[in-house]
Amino acid sequence: MLSKSIQLLLSVTLLVLVAIACAPAAPTQAPAATTAPTQAAAPSVSTQSSATSAPTKAAVATTAPVAVPTQAAATPKRGGTVTIAYSQEPPTLNHYIGTTSAMWSINAMILEGLVTLDPDGNFIPNLAETLPTKENGGVSDDGKTITFKHRKGVKWSDGTAFTCDDVVFTWKAVMTKESGAASTVGWTDLDSITCPDADTTVAKFKNLYSPFLALFRNPIMPKSAGDPANMQKWPYNRKPIGTGPFQVQEWASADHITLVRNANYRDATAGKPYLDSIIVKFVPSVDVGLNLLKSGQVDVMWNLSEAVLPTVEKMPGIKFVSKASTSSERLVLNLADPKIDATPDPLNNPHPILGDLRVRQAMQLAINKQQIVDTLLFGKASVATSDVHAGWATCELKSSEFSLDKAKQLLTEAGWVPGTDSIRVSKGAKFVKDGTRLRLKYQTTSGDKLREDTQQLILDQLKQIGVEVYIENVPSDVLFGTWASGAVRRHGQFDIIQFSPNPDIADPHSHMYQYYDSAMMPTAANKGAGANYSRWVNKDADKAIEQAGGILDLKLRHDLYCQSAQLIANELPVIFLYNRSASSGYSERLQNYVGYNASNPDFGANAANWWLK
Amino acid sequence: MTRYIIRRLLQAIPVLFVVSVLVFSLIQVAPNNPLAVYQNNPDISPEDLERLAEQYGLNDPLPVKYLKWLSQTLRGDWGESLMTHRPVFDEIAERLPNTLYLSITAFVISLIVSIPIGVVSAVRQYSWFDHITTTLAFMGHSVPVFWFGLLLIIIFSVNLQNPLAGTFLFPHPAPLPLFPGGGMVTLGRDAPPPLVDRLWHLVLPVAMLSVVQLPQHVRYMRAGMLDVLKMDFIRTARGKGLGERVVTYKHAMKNAAIPLVTIIALEIPILFNGALFTETIFSWPGMGRLFFDHAQRGDYPVLMGILMLSATLIVVFNLVADVAYAFLDPRIRYD
Repeated sequence: MLSKSIQLLLSVTLLVLVAIACAPAAPTQAPAATTAPTQAAAPSVSTQSSATSAPTKAAVATTAPVAVPTQAAATPKRGGTVTIAYSQEPPTLNHYIGTTSAMWSINAMILEGLVTLDPDGNFIPNLAETLPTKENGGVSDDGKTITFKHRKGVKWSDGTAFTCDDVVFTWKAVMTKESGAASTVGWTDLDSITCPDADTTVAKFKNLYSPFLALFRNPIMPKSAGDPANMQKWPYNRKPIGTGPFQVQEWASADHITLVRNANYRDATAGKPYLDSIIVKFVPSVDVGLNLLKSGQVDVMWNLSEAVLPTVEKMPGIKFVSKASTSSERLVLNLADPKIDATPDPLNNPHPILGDLRVRQAMQLAINKQQIVDTLLFGKASVATSDVHAGWATCELKSSEFSLDKAKQLLTEAGWVPGTDSIRVSKGAKFVKDGTRLRLKYQTTSGDKLREDTQQLILDQLKQIGVEVYIENVPSDVLFGTWASGAVRRHGQFDIIQFSPNPDIADPHSHMYQYYDSAMMPTAANKGAGANYSRWVNKDADKAIEQAGGILDLKLRHDLYCQSAQLIANELPVIFLYNRSASSGYSERLQNYVGYNASNPDFGANAANWWLK
Repeated sequence: MTRYIIRRLLQAIPVLFVVSVLVFSLIQVAPNNPLAVYQNNPDISPEDLERLAEQYGLNDPLPVKYLKWLSQTLRGDWGESLMTHRPVFDEIAERLPNTLYLSITAFVISLIVSIPIGVVSAVRQYSWFDHITTTLAFMGHSVPVFWFGLLLIIIFSVNLQNPLAGTFLFPHPAPLPLFPGGGMVTLGRDAPPPLVDRLWHLVLPVAMLSVVQLPQHVRYMRAGMLDVLKMDFIRTARGKGLGERVVTYKHAMKNAAIPLVTIIALEIPILFNGALFTETIFSWPGMGRLFFDHAQRGDYPVLMGILMLSATLIVVFNLVADVAYAFLDPRIRYD
């Protein structure tokens, strides 16, 4: 009897252990990251020009040859069903509880905000009639009060009218403490939302809030959705009511969500949406999804990595779109002494090796970024230059030069001379005793093949100029952990780490501020808040970023972010490697399918215009 | 007998208690935090994270967390998922039928096929039939299931076309795969009649699952038969002049079934757990994927629900196996 109990205990324990061991570490900023900036919804695009909108100055170059939007030459046909395979199932469709990129993408076909983004990441009005500006009276003189005039006659999918009360309700729901909203960023900056009439929303901020457009890009919830205190349990969360072209008919967990035409959609008179229904099919792996795409069992495969694009290219009858996402892989260099725990004063405690700009420059010169893109990403990504490479703030910077000779020369100038083996040692270097070996620790998340391959290439490339790096990868939880968990990134106890954050396509501010402002170094005093892991201090950059956060004019803000991006490129607190692309594959019979520059693959924003040949 | 069953059921209570403590602690030490997905999001402020942790009860000390879970469970409330915020009971109730539908079909088919094969290959030991089935069983046993599943898809779902496409059985116009590579039913229009559609979707996943189970059952049955056929009472039966057919199917098979019954009883709880690989490859919305998806996010209420359900089933079917033993073999008594 006893042995039987023990046997039972053991078998259950084993089961748990296997499950835990099998489970990859928590999702992180890995390529197919599930995290997404919360202010980046892409509700349905306004109907006028989305399919063919011309690239503006701020638009970033697309990376793939087939990424040309289909010209709306033929007359759209009404009817038909499109099946889209998603390799990730969202836990909820309530935008304010969930954060997964699959949720964003699906919601883009159902829900809408007051404004939205076009395929190149420029703001366009959505539920609002126009973008508020000072000229059209939408923005008050002090910039704190914003007035949105609504589009006329918009209805929710349940037939009730969309009014300003719904906007107020959405704000209140997010701010209700018990609602369990994931993020309150931006919403806390609102002083009030008032309704002079049903079709006008007046938002008053406590202080000037520069990313206000991004805030109102978040989808609006109808006031009939439920009691805010109970938000996590709303039926709405699995069957949201929106103003978008489609509505949820059925959600069978782990299998599919059926979306059907919203009969109350505002362009219903124009025959939109053209499709009768969209089936969102959840597949447990990308391989499975690709097989289904190939055999015609699904029409679209969401979120493809660069590595599979060459395969998709060869599939008959299948095309793909690929545009730059906001996520770019980079090396974050520690400019402060890693032996000191989270120093607030990196200028007086510089990193013994990386503290010297010339060493950082030499490293960048030695890294052949194009080679990484060509060999590891099959040429389907682009060389990264800055964090503002997509969306309205796009800043075109030159790719860094690749020159081993210049790199070697710089290192020699910096007091690093070839030692007995090929690795350099210090002789008159700025911050170290003579005879120190040029050796650095290089970390990234373990178990990510693309990252590990990149490491190998960079390791070889740096070796050629006499820089020795050794790899010591850690699980993503350890690398990205919290201050309390002692994460090396926050405590500044590293030399080089490689990862890619996922900045908000709608507004770069929180990213630029968190990652590059000197006030945002994680320290004991601020309990590790902020993301300036390099501990980079540059007063000019601080000024530019802070100034950009204090004004509303997008053109001026663009210039200021560009200035700071240039300063980053000069001083190299990070070395950018490559931009990840937002790609999806689709069947040729699907027309008007458009790719989006995105934090996430938000292609669904154009779903109202899709039709089947 | 009744007293024995009652005693065993009472013994199950401390066993399940210890299991729950152990499993709960193991899940808690795993590095999967339900809020990890939020941690890298610059738009979720540290204050937001703190508020959510408090709301989810993640800041409670481990014993408090456990006691909260225990008192809830004892009141019949399985708690709520930290990911979807739906009741754990609903999450499981939605997936369990899908899993049982697949696993029981595969299990039954595997038994129906394996028992005769096992018997014949034992009766005709070292015949060509025995050699072939033994070899195939070995191959089936050692083939990597994941690879085999993908192979099935490539052959039957990508390369081979359905010759009946466009007919009333399969209204979808060609090209249509011979068998679908995923899902439980056809979604959208042009779906075959419901029964045809269901069976059509069942073929490949059942084939994959059977390949795992069949060789095992064949080998158990064959070994069991071989043992019995060597026994004295079989020689006696033959000596009495009984025909070979009666000896094999009446005397030998009944006795050889005893070990198989035990194995079946112990395999039944596993049917409830779902088959992660098969479900993953064929996009089957079953228990295996439910467990896996929620394990990744450290969603402990759902994990506890699944694990305690499976621990209970293991305990119960252990008892069922022991009781069945007594019925099959009158020599066994539990007094």
